Amino acid sequence: MSDIEALDSGIAAADRADAAPARGLWRRYEPAILGTGSIVLLLAAWEALPRLVTLSAGTKLFFTTPSRVVGTLWDMFATGEIWPPLGVSAGAFALGLGIAIVVALPLGVLLGRSATLSALLDPFITAFNATPRLVFLPLVMLWFGLGLWSKVVIVFIGALFPLLINTYEGVRNADRLLINVVRSFGADEWAIARLVILPNALPYIVVGLRLAIGRAILGVVVAEFFGSAEGLGVVMVRAASSYHVDVVFAGLIVFAALSLVMTAMVKLVEDRLQRWRPQHANG
Amino acid sequence: MADIAADIPVPRASFVARHRRALLGLLAVVVFLAAWQAAFLVVPFNPLFITKPSLMLAGLLDMLATGELVDALGASAIPFVLGLAAAAVIGVAVGIVMGWRMRVGYALDPLLTVFYASPLVALAPLVVVFFGVGTGAKTMIVFLLAVFPFIFNAFAGTRAVDRLLIDVVRSLGGAEKDLYVKVIIPSVLPYIVAAARIAVGRALIGVLVGEFFAASEGIGYAIARFGDLFALDRMFACILVIMAIAVALTEGIRWAERAAFPWRIGQ
Repeated sequence: MSDIEALDSGIAAADRADAAPARGLWRRYEPAILGTGSIVLLLAAWEALPRLVTLSAGTKLFFTTPSRVVGTLWDMFATGEIWPPLGVSAGAFALGLGIAIVVALPLGVLLGRSATLSALLDPFITAFNATPRLVFLPLVMLWFGLGLWSKVVIVFIGALFPLLINTYEGVRNADRLLINVVRSFGADEWAIARLVILPNALPYIVVGLRLAIGRAILGVVVAEFFGSAEGLGVVMVRAASSYHVDVVFAGLIVFAALSLVMTAMVKLVEDRLQRWRPQHANG
Repeated sequence: MADIAADIPVPRASFVARHRRALLGLLAVVVFLAAWQAAFLVVPFNPLFITKPSLMLAGLLDMLATGELVDALGASAIPFVLGLAAAAVIGVAVGIVMGWRMRVGYALDPLLTVFYASPLVALAPLVVVFFGVGTGAKTMIVFLLAVFPFIFNAFAGTRAVDRLLIDVVRSLGGAEKDLYVKVIIPSVLPYIVAAARIAVGRALIGVLVGEFFAASEGIGYAIARFGDLFALDRMFACILVIMAIAVALTEGIRWAERAAFPWRIGQ
């Protein structure tokens, strides 16, 4: 039904394009034009603001413009000074996310296959998933110090739950009928997992991975803000306290770009795998 | 019908069988706490590194008795509620207009997606620089983090409004106002409640970020300070209180969703 409608409107749009090319073009690209337009407009207004209004000396101290942010970002890459802190941050991100994947997938499959085990762990998972992991940060710092491992733990806690919950949902939603068929043909638990459960759970896991990446990046930022000796987040906090606002925004852009690129890559995989899946463990 | 049903003795599952999941969960929590408490009979206990459930409980009762805990929670609750309320009002309004006026949606969707995807927590130092230390900055951080779920869910909800119902209201002579009151808001409401569930979690993060970063009061400040003082019993007690609040809020909204919009279960 919806496919047919989409097709119809496509044909209608093509007709209009033949009749009045300029209007058709505008119509086709209207979302893109308006979308980029609003971003450009905002940046232009921001850039123009200090030229139109005289800012007080105090405000000037922590005011910056897009051009200066881009300039700073360019300098950071040109001089290469961004690489060491970015490397530190990326290491914590990769390690935390990696450990989360290694723990979450087998545990999620186990929980999905065993009702007793999932009932036993349910209160813990509910509680830890609902609680902002930031709350554990002072404790984690006390236990693991200001180095790499505090960050890894915070990233791990953040990334674990979306992966775990989505794997669990994916395994639990596996078709009972298919499992019974495979079993009556003599498959053992391992073969059931390989043939039915994993293919069914894969799209769920990929969605979990996408959510986990977002949370992991946030975890790196937060951990570096509040207790760390090095990393891109540390660079940003130091810059903020010495009124180098352009460096803060440059760091924000780097984090946002990494988050968008990685999320988009996973999204591509996701769209390939399946189109009908609802989201779980949202947010 | 009811009489017949009453005559036949229905084999009722036993209490244990009916509540198996909840009982198993409770059992696991009890065993976990008992094991934690008992572990220090074997392992040497270092109060600078870890605490015991019994000390945690004592710390909690002590903070309740002195009123310390209530004061801290009160100081955190004000920015939480203000920021969340502002996020709900502004986010829903923006989202509905975006969904209803296609051009506004086209114009704002990419811009807001960029904001939503960027780790806004990173702006906390700037917010503190602009708004100073205290309720203002905390409210602003909460608002920044909580507004996006409301915008995007109201946007999605408005776009999912049944066009047919809108045509019906229009052909029966309804005004623009009637469209909003009679069709759009009722069908958008479930989306907004779902947004509230996500936003509550983000708002809690906002309060904690604000208080870790720059504050002199509040529950997040209490946790950080007890950490610095190595008062682990109180720190754990505060963490436990936040966990309880987080679970109560999210599960409460989830329950309300199920009660108010039972047709949306599984969406």
